[in-house]
Amino acid sequence: MIELEGIEKTYVSSSVKTRVLTRVSFRIAAGEFVAIMGASGTGKSTLMNVLGCLDKPTAGHYRLDGTDMVNLDDDALSHLRNHKIGFVFQQFHLLDRATALRNVMLPLIYADQYPEDAHQRAEGALAAVGLADRMSYKPSQLSGGQQQRVAIARALITDPTILLADEPTGNLDSKSGAEVLAIFQRLHREDRTIIVVTHDRAVAEHANRIIVLKDGMIAEDQPVAQPRDAETELAAVVGKEAQA
Amino acid sequence: MRVLRIAQEGARALAGHKLRTFFMMAGTIVGIAALTVIMAVGKGTEQKVMKRVNAFGTHVIMITAGGGKGFSPPQEGVTTLRPDDAEAIRAQVPGIELLNVFAMKRGPPVKAGANQTQAVVTATDQNWHEAWDWPVTDGEPITDEDQATMARVCVLGTTTARELFGDQNPIGEYVQVGNVRFRVKGVLQTRGVSPHGGDFDSRVMIPLSTGLRRLFNQDHITNIRLKVGDSSRLTQLGEEVRQLLRRRHTITPPKEDDFSVFTAAEVAKEARGISRTLTYLLSALAGLSLLVGGIVLMNILLISVGERKKEIGLRRALGATQGDIFRQFLVESLSVTIIGMVTGSLLGWAVSVVLARVTQSPVVISWEPFALALAFALVVGVFFGVQPARRAAKLRPVEALR
Repeated sequence: MIELEGIEKTYVSSSVKTRVLTRVSFRIAAGEFVAIMGASGTGKSTLMNVLGCLDKPTAGHYRLDGTDMVNLDDDALSHLRNHKIGFVFQQFHLLDRATALRNVMLPLIYADQYPEDAHQRAEGALAAVGLADRMSYKPSQLSGGQQQRVAIARALITDPTILLADEPTGNLDSKSGAEVLAIFQRLHREDRTIIVVTHDRAVAEHANRIIVLKDGMIAEDQPVAQPRDAETELAAVVGKEAQA
Repeated sequence: MRVLRIAQEGARALAGHKLRTFFMMAGTIVGIAALTVIMAVGKGTEQKVMKRVNAFGTHVIMITAGGGKGFSPPQEGVTTLRPDDAEAIRAQVPGIELLNVFAMKRGPPVKAGANQTQAVVTATDQNWHEAWDWPVTDGEPITDEDQATMARVCVLGTTTARELFGDQNPIGEYVQVGNVRFRVKGVLQTRGVSPHGGDFDSRVMIPLSTGLRRLFNQDHITNIRLKVGDSSRLTQLGEEVRQLLRRRHTITPPKEDDFSVFTAAEVAKEARGISRTLTYLLSALAGLSLLVGGIVLMNILLISVGERKKEIGLRRALGATQGDIFRQFLVESLSVTIIGMVTGSLLGWAVSVVLARVTQSPVVISWEPFALALAFALVVGVFFGVQPARRAAKLRPVEALR
């Protein structure tokens, strides 16, 4: 369902060519939980932008549910992002002045068909990430972990093909990070396809497969025999807090 | 509808930044308010001008003894205008349909029995009734026979008639003006209050010959009123009359006229007064505020595009097309100018009403300024909104999210 074939990305600035991605090819099947790992400067943000249809590769093909995004124009890419991809960012990227509920409903504004039950859907999505009692809170009234959970609810509102998370725990303390990863693992059990981009091996080990990028090429692509369990880690953190 | 949802996003952005929104609006408000005042005052003035011109007469040339720029009642003690001036005009200026000569004096006490009052006494020829379109409603008018026989007869204005005779019929009764007794032969139609606040109906009309010889004891007159057939030649005929009188009075440059010639054009100019200057000033203000307001609007929008890069990038990531972003920003700028227009119109309307009270000048509230304001609002909103909206739409989501 996700198929990358010979993806290349070259940036040209003042006649200096910089190749960021070289012959990147892999497939991700529906229902997989994949971590894309790499140190900064290895091209993982670029790969993330391509996977999110925010940027086109210089060469190669990227088929998402059979559609090659390389041939699509800007409007079609917007449309694709709207109903195939759910984004979760390191910086949360919530609208400051909007309530949690309105933030969650934001992608529906750009949907072809605005669902009549938009409100109920958003309420359901917030309840699913444990924020049923925070619907009318604004981001400034929420903790970092709560804000990221609002962002996850927003990513799921359009029922996308992939959940694409860029360093989702990067701005969170270990407890909130574990909560977010626990949500991902639960979504994985519910057969969602999840791609997490991270530099942190501890985070990556919660996935079932790790793709390691090095110098713009795939250095390693391995299944994880025994993924770490976020629920257990969360219980440990909570236990430690209780002792203190 | 997607467009409506996007418009709603724009409206929310404005509501969320009230101070910024106000500054974006300020120029439009002032500009549209000024525009509304201009049109209200302009229309009011034109109405006043038309009223004055119609009251003066659209086919009339009025000659008053004594120089001076203003259209004022004749001056006392100016003896330069004479009946033979009128004869010369009748003989030498073609195109005059009607000529009326009169001499008026304010002041001699008018008595009847025990009652006494003050009135304007006008000694005039028989053409007066037609020249002023002012007939008698009771009895007889002044005739050429009265003129020829220097008859001691008079026609009263309704105010004077009431003051002297109460409810009694004055026709056939006698009034005494100065030392002369006049038989009342008619009562004029009621005219009401003059533009200067005087009572038109407080007057006594007597034959010109009688007035000059028996009452005023003078051979000069105060006014000549001319009616022309073709109103388009009014100004030209007025100038001909002026040149004729200058020759007759042997006035050469640089000496000024010892008489004044007025036509509807002069009356209109005088009635417009300072309102024309005011209109020019306000037009400049309106144009300038709309322009400056538009530039401010554009700049604030551009700044806000910069500030909201992340928001724009996020919306793009979540599925907004370039068109969606463009429309959202255009809605923001159009909403600002349209709300500014409504506020400005209301403000302008309020100012017009206050202005009307303070200056006692008429102000006409009509739909035209609202329509014009709406057009301006749309033009300014689109013209100064497109550039920021385009810039917002062109932001690449990858860069905007960074």
